Amino acid sequence: MADSPTPAVDTGTPGRIRRSSVSQTRKKKASTIPIGIVVFALIVVVGILFAADQANLAFFWFTGTVFGYILQKARFCFTASLRDPYLTGGTSLTKAVLTAFAVTSLGFWAIQYAAASAGLPIPGQSFVAPINVHTAVGGVLFGIGMVISGGCASGTLMRVGEGFMMQMLSIAFFVVGSVIGAAHFGWWMENVIVHGRSIHMAEIFGWFGALVVQLGTIALLWIAADKFAKAKQGAAAH
Amino acid sequence: MQEQTLDCLGEACPVPLVKTQKALEDLAVGDVLIVQIDHSCAMKNVPEWAREAGHNVEIEEVDDGEWEIVIEKAK
Repeated sequence: MADSPTPAVDTGTPGRIRRSSVSQTRKKKASTIPIGIVVFALIVVVGILFAADQANLAFFWFTGTVFGYILQKARFCFTASLRDPYLTGGTSLTKAVLTAFAVTSLGFWAIQYAAASAGLPIPGQSFVAPINVHTAVGGVLFGIGMVISGGCASGTLMRVGEGFMMQMLSIAFFVVGSVIGAAHFGWWMENVIVHGRSIHMAEIFGWFGALVVQLGTIALLWIAADKFAKAKQGAAAH
Repeated sequence: MQEQTLDCLGEACPVPLVKTQKALEDLAVGDVLIVQIDHSCAMKNVPEWAREAGHNVEIEEVDDGEWEIVIEKAK
């Protein structure tokens, strides 16, 4: 960061930006660590109760909690990953999302490949949905919605947890929209989606080919994102 | 040196960022803009953009989940 020329009369601490209004520095507050410990214990207790009923539920409970925690602490945002390159020229989140895709791709690949080579049915095949124009139309609609409401599904949920009031409204209408969507999803499935083509990359490129194509595409996008940010910063500097 | 406060409390990302960009355009070099935000996402992209644009940036947490981003226009 470039240092600003500071005149001798400056009363502020060195390296700080001078401001005339009173800096409302955060007041000392009671430690929130005890609350944290209580909440953590509650999470564990609820998890154990879930486990007694259904092991799956406990697994979802713990992974969901950890996912939310990481999402919040990392300020990870899928919306920002696609919006910020245009708005700020920053692609740090875009690269983070691409990295996450690469890691999950490896995981999916390992699970599916292990099942396929053991002669077992390949897990997750029912999620290989047909793609066609409807995929792009849906993506654009979802994109408009998430930029207006300030977050995708995970981001909105996370910010509701942070206590951001406006997005409680978003989540209410997210639920309304999802219910309406689910109610007539069958019609779209039969009349539109079914005409698309399901592509499972392993069937086309082979197991290792699919991995190479997938990771290669992600790597190219990563490099493009990196170059894009550098070009934007270069333009801003002149 | 002028100082301007921009109230973005309750505004979801990316509104604070767009408002900050517009407000900074009208300021002179050396002026200070204080952006008040309470949306954690703006905590990331407002300072990131301002630093990339070459301004001096400081972040102060004024309350739980409420921040002031102090931006000094550098050019």
